[in-house]
Amino acid sequence: MNCLLEGNGVKVFGKALHALSRIGDALWLDPTVKGLALRAVNSAHSAYACFLFSPLFFQHYSLGSGSEQGSGSVNCKLLMKSILPLFRCLTSIERNVERCQISVSTPSDRVVVQFFCRHGITKTHNLRFQESEALQAVFASHLCPNVLKAPARLLCDMVMHFPSSQEEITLSVTPLRVSLTNYCEEGKDPMRTMYTEMSLHPDEFDFFQVGVDLDLTFCLKELRGLLSFAESHSLPVSVNFSTAGKPVCFSVEDVVLEASVVLATLMDSESRGPSQPAETLAPVTSRCADAAVLLVGSCEADSGEPRCTPAVMDLVASSQGSPIISPPPLMLPLLQIDEPNGLGELGEACASLTTTPASSTICSLLFNALSSEQDSDGYDSRLPVLACYSDGEESMEEDHTGSPSL
Amino acid sequence: MPLSTQSQADDEQYVLVASMDNARNLSNILKAITFKDQAIFSATPNGLKVTVEDSKCLQANAFIQAEIFQEFTIKEDLVGFQVNLTVLLDCLSIFGGSTVPGVSTALRMCYKGYGYPLTLFLEEGGVVTVCKINTQEPEEPIDFEFCSNNVTNKVILLSESLKEAFSELDMTSEVLQITMSPSQPYFRLSTFGNSGNAHYDYPKDSEMMELFKCTKTQTNRYKMSLLKPSTKALALSCKVSVRTDIRGFLSLQYLVRNDDGQICFVEYYCCPDEEVEEE
Repeated sequence: MNCLLEGNGVKVFGKALHALSRIGDALWLDPTVKGLALRAVNSAHSAYACFLFSPLFFQHYSLGSGSEQGSGSVNCKLLMKSILPLFRCLTSIERNVERCQISVSTPSDRVVVQFFCRHGITKTHNLRFQESEALQAVFASHLCPNVLKAPARLLCDMVMHFPSSQEEITLSVTPLRVSLTNYCEEGKDPMRTMYTEMSLHPDEFDFFQVGVDLDLTFCLKELRGLLSFAESHSLPVSVNFSTAGKPVCFSVEDVVLEASVVLATLMDSESRGPSQPAETLAPVTSRCADAAVLLVGSCEADSGEPRCTPAVMDLVASSQGSPIISPPPLMLPLLQIDEPNGLGELGEACASLTTTPASSTICSLLFNALSSEQDSDGYDSRLPVLACYSDGEESMEEDHTGSPSL
Repeated sequence: MPLSTQSQADDEQYVLVASMDNARNLSNILKAITFKDQAIFSATPNGLKVTVEDSKCLQANAFIQAEIFQEFTIKEDLVGFQVNLTVLLDCLSIFGGSTVPGVSTALRMCYKGYGYPLTLFLEEGGVVTVCKINTQEPEEPIDFEFCSNNVTNKVILLSESLKEAFSELDMTSEVLQITMSPSQPYFRLSTFGNSGNAHYDYPKDSEMMELFKCTKTQTNRYKMSLLKPSTKALALSCKVSVRTDIRGFLSLQYLVRNDDGQICFVEYYCCPDEEVEEE
């Protein structure tokens, strides 16, 4: 693979890397006929991002020399800390770099990033990479019934009110209102937590299609990178989602690039009101969303604390008036899965996934070729897996080579 | 100024008296060589030279000519002593190093000779502080025997082009390799780190290359830990000359303009880590 970026394109590429670095420590560089895909996934496999640069984005883009087999060249996995420093200072790149050439050299196992700078100065970086399968998340965002679209500025303004230390937020949508609230972890004294809620009228969105009332809780930290990228390009952001427990996809696109971040969402506790632990236990089915319910459900039996959903409640300013929130536990229940039963149920649920038809994978994040990592990390009880994934053994649909399409 | 009204009689006892209206003109340049605590001061009628060394492989010198000082009186041909440079810098910025224009710390540095402390009179806004810093027997600075006759390759670059490269250098690389050649790549800085290697190439006809005189292709490696401190000198400078001799020893000379636009020099000498003669 060989591509050439000029001036401003280098800065955009750098910004994409910054956004991806918020997700994970490794970068997948996957050259395809559709363009160059940069992808990252977090260690918990609950967040995935993909930036696809079409060939038009580059001054020159070619996949591979004739000697390389197949449709494309090598898919590379790089450490983010190898490549990010090259693009760390975007202002200096803007000032100094005239062109940037990125190529993959198979014989030497190197990704070569060459900056042609002002005054004839050339900077060449030969970065080690690991050959890898392309990273893919199979997520048909176009099948999501609920869609919001807003200028990046609007979403940035909304999230700005949450401190950068805020991990998770809840997006609550009804046909009449959209609000963002911070998600309080169980265990934190509710009287000591600052509660923030921001609401918007559907009219503020460029596009608003919401069928049902929903609360989606997801990790904000991993989204900030994309929002900042979108804002710097003044691109509108589309939010595609179906229900709680199923992933939400934030995406932007323009003529030459598409970027999306897919985040797992917390399984909704139940329909409003405190629930009986038994009710939330769903039979083992082939849908991994239900497996997630199962996961949370089995822990509910242990905790027995009242659970209520944070959204849809009218929160009064005074602390006396506001209800005490004990939202569905996020991390805690997963830590409690110590008993073999818990793992067994999960194992069963996921074992059944290997025979699922393609349609039921809509609700999960599936990753190719991470099976070796999954074996060691996947069901580690310390990892908060919000969305289940199947093992890479079954052949993944070959046509899903691109980023989740809009 | 209170300092300058000190009686002549007092001055008689000092072998060295150096005064500066703006102590920053001295402290800034000393910061460029502060990678070790101990510094050797050598004063001659030409001015002041401050030397710092590291592991017998690296030497940094700061030259402040007599003309830079408002007053520079020396009673001997050579006055030498050793002091703790960090302590000296702390004293020079004892008034907090304010950057309000027009306000500066005035300095009067006095030395009575062997066995006496270095006395600093510092004044700002009418307040005078007297600091006495213990001195030691000066060690003999290493003579790197770097002479112009043995220089094989020399370039002078505008610092601006090197500053970015130095700040981006891959610190996981143990060495910094410098290649100088009359043919491609002309002048190249290379690192070999955990992620891979990097090369910074400066062509001989670049606008940043003020002088290019390379007679022989030479590649030498220097310990990164030794050269990294030179980044401070680079940051202060407007031009840098890079020279290597037939042994592969490196000389970096930085032209520094102080607050008042006067010129001072800082130079670094470094031994090669291993000599790699390019074919």
